[in-house]
Amino acid sequence: MLKYTIRRILYVIPILFGVTLVCFLLFNVAGGDPAAQAAGKYATVEQIESIRAELGLNQPIYLQYLDYLKQILTFDFGRSWSTKQKISEMFWSGVGPSLSVTVPGFLITLMITIPLSLVLGYLRDSFIDRTAMVVCLALISISSLVYILAGQYFLAYLWGMFPISGWDSSWTGRWEYTTLPILIMVVLSLGGQILFFRTIFIEELSKDYVRTARAKGLSNKKVLTKHILRNALIPIITLVVLQVPFLILGSLLLESFFGIPGLGGLLVTAINNADFPVIKAMIVILTILYTTFNLISDLLYAVVDPKVRLQ
Amino acid sequence: MTSAQNTQGRSLWADAIRKIKKNRIAVVSFWIIIAYIGLAALCAMDLVFTSYSLVDNTIPYQAPSSAHWFGTDLFGRDVLARAAHGTVTSLIVGFVGAGLSVLIGTLLGALAGYFGGLVDELITWFYSTLDNIPYILLLVAFSFVSGPGLKTLCLAIGLTSWVGHCRLVRSEFIKQRGQEYVQGAFSMGASHARRIFVHILPNTLHLILISFSLGFVSAIKSEVILSYLGLGVEPGTPSWGMMISDAKLELSRGVWWGLAAATVFMFFLVLAFTLFNDAVRDATDPKLRDK
Amino acid sequence: MSSNSLIEIKDLTVEFQTDDGTVTAVKKISFDIPKGKTVGLVGESGSGKSVSSLAIMGLIPNPPGKVTTGQILFEGKDLLKNSESQMRKIRGKRISMIFQEPMTSLNPVFTVGDQICESLILHEKMSKAEAWERAIELLDQVGIPNPSERIKSYPHEMSGGQRQRVMIAMAISCNPDLLIADEPTTALDVTIQKQILDLIADLQKKYGMSVLFITHDLGVIADISDEVVVMYRGDIVEKNSTEALFKKPQHPYTKGLLACRPSLDEHPRRLPVVSDFMTPDGKEKTPDQSVLKAAKEIRPISDSQTPLLEIKSLKKHFPLKKGFFGGVQSWVKAVDDVSLTVRKGRTLGLVGESGCGKTTLGRTILRLIEPTAGEVRYNGVDVTGLNKSDMRAMRRKMQIIFQDPYASLNPRMTIGAALMEPMVIHKLGSSKSERLDMAAKLMDRVGLSASMLNRYPHEFSGGQRQRICIARALAVEPEFIICDESVSALDVSIQAQILNLLLELQEELNLTYVFISHDLAVVKFISDEVAVMYNGQVVEMNTAVGIYENPQHDYTKKLLSAIPKGMPKTLLS
Repeated sequence: MLKYTIRRILYVIPILFGVTLVCFLLFNVAGGDPAAQAAGKYATVEQIESIRAELGLNQPIYLQYLDYLKQILTFDFGRSWSTKQKISEMFWSGVGPSLSVTVPGFLITLMITIPLSLVLGYLRDSFIDRTAMVVCLALISISSLVYILAGQYFLAYLWGMFPISGWDSSWTGRWEYTTLPILIMVVLSLGGQILFFRTIFIEELSKDYVRTARAKGLSNKKVLTKHILRNALIPIITLVVLQVPFLILGSLLLESFFGIPGLGGLLVTAINNADFPVIKAMIVILTILYTTFNLISDLLYAVVDPKVRLQ
Repeated sequence: MTSAQNTQGRSLWADAIRKIKKNRIAVVSFWIIIAYIGLAALCAMDLVFTSYSLVDNTIPYQAPSSAHWFGTDLFGRDVLARAAHGTVTSLIVGFVGAGLSVLIGTLLGALAGYFGGLVDELITWFYSTLDNIPYILLLVAFSFVSGPGLKTLCLAIGLTSWVGHCRLVRSEFIKQRGQEYVQGAFSMGASHARRIFVHILPNTLHLILISFSLGFVSAIKSEVILSYLGLGVEPGTPSWGMMISDAKLELSRGVWWGLAAATVFMFFLVLAFTLFNDAVRDATDPKLRDK
Repeated sequence: MSSNSLIEIKDLTVEFQTDDGTVTAVKKISFDIPKGKTVGLVGESGSGKSVSSLAIMGLIPNPPGKVTTGQILFEGKDLLKNSESQMRKIRGKRISMIFQEPMTSLNPVFTVGDQICESLILHEKMSKAEAWERAIELLDQVGIPNPSERIKSYPHEMSGGQRQRVMIAMAISCNPDLLIADEPTTALDVTIQKQILDLIADLQKKYGMSVLFITHDLGVIADISDEVVVMYRGDIVEKNSTEALFKKPQHPYTKGLLACRPSLDEHPRRLPVVSDFMTPDGKEKTPDQSVLKAAKEIRPISDSQTPLLEIKSLKKHFPLKKGFFGGVQSWVKAVDDVSLTVRKGRTLGLVGESGCGKTTLGRTILRLIEPTAGEVRYNGVDVTGLNKSDMRAMRRKMQIIFQDPYASLNPRMTIGAALMEPMVIHKLGSSKSERLDMAAKLMDRVGLSASMLNRYPHEFSGGQRQRICIARALAVEPEFIICDESVSALDVSIQAQILNLLLELQEELNLTYVFISHDLAVVKFISDEVAVMYNGQVVEMNTAVGIYENPQHDYTKKLLSAIPKGMPKTLLS
């Protein structure tokens, strides 16, 4: 187990090298001349050159990359072009609002989908299961943007059940604004998640140990809730852990629609303003977070699965 | 097991097609997909819904009527015609975007899975790296640096979404490589190319097809999100993503028909693709055969 | 109706719904299981034996399966009329079951202790602590050493044999009246099989329970059961006491089945097959005199002395563990310093249990796997040193036939294309029509119709597919063929046909074989010489007759003594 942990951690090094390199290449090389972009459309050649020197862009490319790595290590990404705020501060202030939508949304979804898909897996090919499948497939055939538009239009705008958008930074006040986004998040992740979990459960149901458990005289309910659930939890836990970085990022669309000052909304604004440093920083931060949680999920996998634990 | 009587054999594909034909949902889905392709072809040749770009400033945002079944947009253009022409954009994004990513994924996956060793380690490192960047961010970043437009959109989707295909093809190649029929071909002196293209690839093709079809659906959905972020197709080109995004401003004025038309068009295409895909999966699953 | 029956099955029919319509798996079968006796249920694949046992347990998957007629009387009460909750009180408590696959039949995420305790807590209403104590006793009874420690193990920490012992401990935990054992030893090595069979027999005596022992292997049945029921295509064709059945089989199928098993005491020219005794529609038929004669005659051991294949100090080591920086820390010595000589026109049998390295050796000889060290000389040429194009030419002379006839043909290629592929690679035949002609001849040669060339592998049975694999190996007119467990996946009756075919071809084409198998009886039948492998090394080599009559190495002796006798003990003396 210790060896596995160490090896898995060492494996992150080439991956981190890779992701930072991809981000760097994408923005500094493939994305055109950063100095020209920073200077804006109407800059003169001299202005561009002075910005280039200021940003250190006249250095050889590997030094620029090292500079970039230094930025990441010191968590100092400079300032936004449009708001002139420090990017690291923008990041920290965005995490809270994002999480207050995504965490409840994600947990509520899981509480609905896991039991439901377990039941559907057990009732597979019955009328109920088939109907549920059709509903799920229909749900995932509609763009998530449509759910947000319709939810905001009907529930908030037309019927006035919720505020259309806005934010209250106090913990007690923000729920007024987050309830509708949470509700929409639940609805739009329902279909896909049920289909995914149902497949996992059905796969487990066809295994030999299920037959053994039934031959022991266990009831179907017991087989389902003890033997199958415990095995299926292994892939489910991995999935849940991998979702964490996305919970931190928040939903790009939901946040921009409902005016939630989270990271997702921040990123959308940055894209609209072509705010290069913000986009660049956000992507690299979230990528590193994602890599970290990938690692955690792998290690956790080893904890829940006795087979991996002993290798 | 059928006893050998007729001399003409039935291939696994023929078998799968026979099973799909028996599945009513699959047949309907298939014809829906064909209908969309037909519609797109006719639109692209400007044979139907020719009024899609006809601007008439006297009739902005008209509600549905007998003249305009789905009403008109801000410029008085017929929404139904625009939605119909949006099919062309979506199908191009789907086929080219997903096609490109399947191509890259299959090529790299086959090389990594078949040869193993250093080739495998390099390719695995490469896709693990991309896989460690959250997909939506990678796509957004890529589209952002490459700029808007249909061509770059397809390219962005193709170049960022191949990891899943690659992983699948790689693991399938590793599995098939050890199978006795491939070992048998090796023992007869078959070359690498023969083993890859004559033996292993035809036996993974059904999985690649299913994977492509999932990629197709996801590409169409991505187009909507990218459109909303201003990274979609060129302004003026009819697209469902643009129509749905525009609804953000339209809905508050009570203009719901643009959103409705695009959603309905997209809904049936995506649903048909998903259902047909499920049927193909069932019909080609070796676990379900022989039983 | 006899009073000492525990279970009476009457007119049981089980049907399955498939894409191609209704399939009757079991047709109106009737048999009894007496109290305290062992009944052996024998049949080949698809005979309906497993389905019958699942019907007793009430575990037929529904859909697609369904019991359509009949009764299963358990102490006079029809199990089929029981509700699911009534059945649950019987399963695991009164009737319990063990399965073929010890590797997958246990739940991987629970300890074996947890899984044994589950039944005890459920049926015997024990507390967790009591159950745990009892589980340790049970593990001790089934012969798991150090049970109070091993009880905390997870299934994957145990060997196949140990897992099957755990399954047995679980099954006997509530003192059942009937234990159903569905091919419990098929997946195990012969020495482990012997231990498990002895264990089941001991427990049966100790607890006085009835056992329904399901197997395809008549040899195993003879050792363990009091009565035998023979099933064929969903029907019971014969039931009798074990002694009577082996002494005087009545039904032609049983006669054929008994006759077609190679025996350790003989070395005949040819094996009789079921079709010698039975017509395709199940009628009795008197075998030809020539068949009986060939089955009695002793096949002389070939006296060829010309060496064709010389293996010198061949080694194949696989890296097992890698260090942090890619360095290999330990190796598995799959083939460890093996030297062998195979003479032209003769058959060398290679026996050993799973993991002994016999398959790796076969593949290393053909350079399907590159050897770590050593030489393989074929007609004096060192094969290990050949370059790519010389090796390709060499492959024409050396062929291999694999174990799994389902996996060894490309499912997307017609049989014709599969047979012509080696001809294309080696540029045999000048045109497609000439190759087609050659393919048709090959089909004929292995006893299949040339009209089937356009068909696909999935349209053939296992035995037919293995014939096709033989035809494909013959397509390049080789001199030397490695048969890697080539008959192990086949039913006994089919196995005999394929073995006969291999012998005929050898005689006709002067082929040289290396025949790899775990089955000593089969190896003895087909080989001139036998080499025994153990832990990557050849521990003993002798003539086929010699090695069985006069084994030298301890491992060989252990192997031989573990083989079921194939005859009830009463008949042996």
